[in-house]
This record gives sequence, C-alpha cells and structure tokens, in this order.
Amino acid sequence: MKITTFAQTLHDLNLIKDQDLDEVILGHKDFSRFGKLKTQDLIQLSQRARELGLKVIFEWDILMTEGVFENVIAALPSLLEHVDILRVQDPGALEWSLANTQKTLQFIAENGNHNIVALQGWIDHAQGRLERIILSIELPKDIIEEYARNLTVPCELLGLGRILLFYTPRQLLSPLYDDQKLYHQELIAIGESEESPHKGFPIVENQHGTFMFHIKDFCLIEYAQELSQRGLHYFRIDLRWSEMTLLKDVLEIFKNANPEKFEAFKLNYKQELMKGYFHVNKTDVLFPKLKNHRLQNREGNYLGEVIEAEKGSHLAIQIKNPLGLKASDSLKIVHPKGEEFSVKIYSLKNLALEEVEFVGPHQTAIIQFVGGVWVKSHVFLEKELATNL
Amino acid sequence: MLNSFPEILAPAGSLDKLKVAILYGANAVYVGGQKFGLRTAAENFTLDELREGVEFAHSHGAQVYVVLNSFLHDKDLSELPDFVKFLEEIHVNAVIVSDLGVVKTVAKLSKIPIHISTQASTLNVEAAKLWKKMGATRVVVGRELSVKEAGKIKREAEIEVEMFIHGSMCMAYSGHCVISNFTQGRDSNRGGCAHSCRFEYSLDMGLDTQEKKKAYFMSSKDLEGLRILPEFINEGIDSLKIEGRMKSHLYAGTMSKVYSEALAYYKIHGHFLSDDLLLWESELSKVSHRAYTSASLVQKAGAESIFNERENSSDTEWQMVGKVVEANPKTGIVIEVRNAFNQGDEIEILPFVGAAIRLVTLEITDIMLRPVSRTKPSTLVKLPFVDGVEAMQLVRQKVKA
Repeated sequence: MKITTFAQTLHDLNLIKDQDLDEVILGHKDFSRFGKLKTQDLIQLSQRARELGLKVIFEWDILMTEGVFENVIAALPSLLEHVDILRVQDPGALEWSLANTQKTLQFIAENGNHNIVALQGWIDHAQGRLERIILSIELPKDIIEEYARNLTVPCELLGLGRILLFYTPRQLLSPLYDDQKLYHQELIAIGESEESPHKGFPIVENQHGTFMFHIKDFCLIEYAQELSQRGLHYFRIDLRWSEMTLLKDVLEIFKNANPEKFEAFKLNYKQELMKGYFHVNKTDVLFPKLKNHRLQNREGNYLGEVIEAEKGSHLAIQIKNPLGLKASDSLKIVHPKGEEFSVKIYSLKNLALEEVEFVGPHQTAIIQFVGGVWVKSHVFLEKELATNL
Repeated sequence: MLNSFPEILAPAGSLDKLKVAILYGANAVYVGGQKFGLRTAAENFTLDELREGVEFAHSHGAQVYVVLNSFLHDKDLSELPDFVKFLEEIHVNAVIVSDLGVVKTVAKLSKIPIHISTQASTLNVEAAKLWKKMGATRVVVGRELSVKEAGKIKREAEIEVEMFIHGSMCMAYSGHCVISNFTQGRDSNRGGCAHSCRFEYSLDMGLDTQEKKKAYFMSSKDLEGLRILPEFINEGIDSLKIEGRMKSHLYAGTMSKVYSEALAYYKIHGHFLSDDLLLWESELSKVSHRAYTSASLVQKAGAESIFNERENSSDTEWQMVGKVVEANPKTGIVIEVRNAFNQGDEIEILPFVGAAIRLVTLEITDIMLRPVSRTKPSTLVKLPFVDGVEAMQLVRQKVKA
C-alpha cells in the first residue's frame, strides 16, 4: 500500500520527498475545494515536484454549475502540461477530461458509490483511462477489501484527515459578518447546536461555497497494516488542516504499527480522532423506527382504514380494496398500537345511512362500533385471508 | 420525447395524495415504494398501491415516476431486481435514480426510462452527456442551476431536463451532505436525513468579542418559481417538479392546481400578464411554507436565500380542515375533519379547477345527522350539498388570530 498526500508549499514537497513517497496532490484555488495555489504557484510546485521525482496529481474536486464549468475549462489547458494526472469528482469533469485530454485520471467516488456495480461502472465508462478510484470513508473494512480485490483499478481511501459533512455553493458565513468586503475571502468558524450532541464543527467559507466538517478527524492509520493486507492500494494522508510535519510520525506508525507511538500521536494531534464506520456501517438500522410498521401492512386482503370511531355507535371505514365490503364479510382490525380485533359485521350502512349489502371501493362503510378500535386502525378482510391461505 | 410545454410533476407520498395531485391537475407524479427511496418516514406505496396508483394515473392521462434514488449499499442493491421487474410489469413511466449501480441494474433488467435524480447533482452539460451515455433519458438537474443553464444542458446534451420549481431545498449539494450519517447514525442518502441543516447553530467566528453569533445559517428558504414560469417554457424545460412527498394533501393539491392552471393560462395566452398571477401567488401563500426565494433560478442564490429562522415559523394564515369523502345531493357533503372548525365559520372548498367555493357552515351534523356546533379532528361531518363539490376535494380555512 502506498501513501499519497497534499502539498501546499515547497517545504511540504521536501517533507514528502524525505518520506520517499512517489506522488503528490496539488490543489489549485479555482479547481480544488480547499486548494490555495494560484496558477504560478502551482506551476512552480509542479516543476519542483517533478524534479524530486514525484508524480503530480491535479485535484479538480469542485462541483460545477454550467457557468462555473465554462470558466474552469477555459483555464485548464494552460495547466495540463504541468500535471501528470487529473483527479476529478464532478461527473462532468470526468466526461470532459475523457473527451478533451489524454491525461490519466483518478475518480473520487467518495459520495454514495457504496456498491461494486456503481464503482465498476465508473471504471468501465473511462475505458482504461482511470488509474485509481477513491472510495467512500463510510465503507466498512470487509467491503473495502472486497472492492480493493475485485475492482479492476487500484483503490484509495482516506487514512487521516477531516471528514467533510456538508458542501454548498452558497456563502453562508459572510452574511453574518457586518463587513461585506469579506465576501470571497476564506472565513472560518466553529459551530455548535443545542440540537446536536456534537460540539465544535469546523466551518469554512471560500470562493467555492461553505463547508462543514465533523468535530473529529478520520483516522485509520492504526489499521494501515490491516488495510494493506486486505489489498488496499493507496492511503491518503490529508494534513492540510493540521501540521505537515506530522507526516513523518504518520509514516512511522504506518510502517511499524506501533501502538504506543499511535497513542502518542493521538495526544499530539490537535483534533480528536474517529474510525467512522471502519468496523461496521449500521446507518440504516434506525429506519424501521422512523414510522409505525403496523400501519405499513396494506397488501393483499387490506380493506381500508377506520376514519371515524364513535364509542357505542359506529365505525366508519374508508374502503380502499377493489373488492369492496359485503355485509357477510368478517374483518380483522389492527389498532395502530398493534392490538387485533376479529369482527363479524352485523350492521352495514352507507353514508346515506341506508342498510346495504355491499359498499364499493372508494366509498365509506358504516359498521357497528368495536370496543378498542380507533381512527387510523387498519381493516383487513378476514374471509379473503382465509381464501388466500 | 422532448415536450414543447413542460409537465407539472407533483409529489405523492401516498396513494391518496397521488389521486389528489392528479385530480388537481398534475401531469405526472413521483412516488416511492417501501424501499430504495429517500423518504423512509413517508407512508410510501405498497405494491398493490403502486399498481392502483399507476392505473389511476394512466386513466387520467398522467404519468407515474418511481423514486429509486437512495445510494444503495451492495446488500440493498441485491434486493432491487424483483422490484424493478414489478415496476416494469405495472408500466410505470420512469424511475428516478441517483446511483450508478441502480442505473446499471435497471437498464440491464428492464426498458423502464431512467431519470437521473437531483441527488446525483447533475450541474453541467458534460455531466448530462455522461448520464445519457449511461442510459438516462432525463436529468433532474441540481437546484444550484439557473433556468438558462438548464436550458443549455437540454440543448447541448440533447436530453430531457427536469427542474424543481417549488418546495423545500437542501442547502447542500444534494447527495453531498452526510451530517446525519456521522452525527445521528442515519444515512441521509438512504432516507435517514435528520434535517440538521435546519438547526440553530451558535457560531464562534473568531471575532475579537467573545460573543457567538446564533443563526439558522444552513437553513434555506423554500423555492418558488411561479413568476419564472415563462423562462422555463422558453428554455424548453421538460418537467417542472414540485418538492414534497412528506407534505400534506393540501400542499399536493394546491401546488398541482396553481402550477397547472398557470401553465394552462400561458398555453392559451402566450404571456403571463394576468391578474390571475396575484391569485395564484395568494394560493401558494395559503399552504404552510418557509419564506420563499427564487434561489438560483435566475442568478446564483445569495444571502437573501437563507431562511435563518426557526423551523415551524411558517406565516401562513390558512390550514387544511378536511377532505371531502363523498358529495351528492342525497348524502350532502361529507368531510373527513383534520382540523376543527365551528358552525358559522367560513370555509373554502378547493375545486379541481377554478376559484375556491366559499361556504358559511350554517348547518353541520355528524353522520348520524345530530347537530354539531364544533367539529373534531378525526371525525366525519356533513354539510348541505353544494354544486361543484366532489369527493377528494380539499377544505381549508383561514385561521383566526
């Protein structure tokens, strides 16, 4: 497994070279969400990186409305000769790069892309031009291994760095300042909400919009050896919000998997660290609790819903089943809390209060009151159920 | 097919709302099954309801699109094929998809047209071209785009384009917000969004003063594009989407009615210079909403597009008081009451076409014909029959101070 990281200065490049890495990611301020390099700075860094034997990866990870896209691609050709690889996230950037450059490409598939069909789909679409795919940090280790072993290009995963939670093109911080000159400058804030148990979200506003990060940084460096054994090809160390001098410590832990050194590293690192969903991703287990599943069963012999219940008098049932309701039918009524009632109809009326033998679909039936049944209870044709069984 | 006039595409969180939206004029509805959509907490449709919904829509000349717009994990994706086959069997008109894995699965197993969801944040011509190559027939472009940019995408990528014209908005690029995933343990891109962007935040902005700013700084105003309708038409946008599968019957009905009537007016007159415009705007204001903005439809959304107020601070003075269950001269008007109203109150019944029918409720009875002076939610009441009132129509009332 190889390490990749970012450089923002010549000094960063030297630190990278000192660690015997063989590539570097450069972020131009107009192409990269958090890139700070102007064109001349990028060209200078790129030249130096190449002198040091480093491959230059050009990060183009902003999402682009059509107007932004037009401006960006007008500026890109002059930069292409200075970089070796384009690293893109917007599908439009991928498509444009395939059609208009000969560059090798990397695709950032960090948002969504949690199935192998999608990931291999991006790779196939690039028809051999994709040299790497960047995986989501929401993937657990077993899945990472499966993808690393089965996808047809090498995979990269964040090893250390901030967790981006939110990205909007709108400027959300500068309106809160009185000084309007602050627009399009980088602004930084720390946010907390009484409605969230987490305190201290770093928030950044720059020319590309507003970004909010998790209060903790993502860190898998203690699992680097395991990930390497599981077949992961690249491990990204993002120290742009921290100290580039930490690269040496990270690489030591990476190479030697020393728990004591990792504990010391954690103490020195200015943010708390988390592993995210490395062991297991259960972000769907709460879904069944978001609604009453007793009321979700409306298949088969479902007749309709109780829309009025007057104690001692009647139930009004809105008929939704195409079969309608016959006076001879037996019913099962399920209360929203789950209690079930078997009911034999002995009074069936329509809304004109006429005794009838049948009430059709999309009409309302009036039957006798059943103790314990309330509005929103679901009604099933018990006889139909017996027939079906 | 590239339309010369856009369709009005309404949300339908349930079979009942599907019928309401179509009866009030929507040309198409989008619905979710029990899985694979992004509104886990919505009632959503059972298989039987999907079948009935498609039959109802087709019998009224409307289309049904089914959302499969979650970003699926492998285990979810393995459950998809049977559902796709079912959707093809019942002749849904399209599926709305975000995930390339779902696109590939649908394309492999069926001939159902594929619309790329706004969750995929399709923002430029090149992205639309890519999705077209992947098999999509339509892109639902990101809400960060102007109508002009969307028009360019349609022309240059030669693909159908759908745009949101009304409703709540994510502040983030859709599909690129994982606040819920990492703070609530709920995958927002599989239907578990906890709406953390609507919270109030206390912000330490590094100012000299120790004071923190409190703001709902990530909460967007609601989109409203009624006056921009001619631009959508001029740019050839194929479908105008109304957000809100979680919203009420009144919302689904009112939005479908207002936008379809406005579009019909434009079709006839070729312009939008009408006093009706004020009426339509008034109708939009009668449904619960945050403050409205045109967001990025004309120019990039700025500071004025931030809601910056507590949720539930809607300023509408109207509420839905019920839905007509049955209406005929023999039975009278039977209303399923959602919010209480009194004898002597003025209520409005919203016909499927035309101006609201105003009634003063001089005579109210329960369904056993006993007089009622104040109605109660979750009951049925009867009013004397009035011409023009039909089952499924919605009843609203101005809320008194």
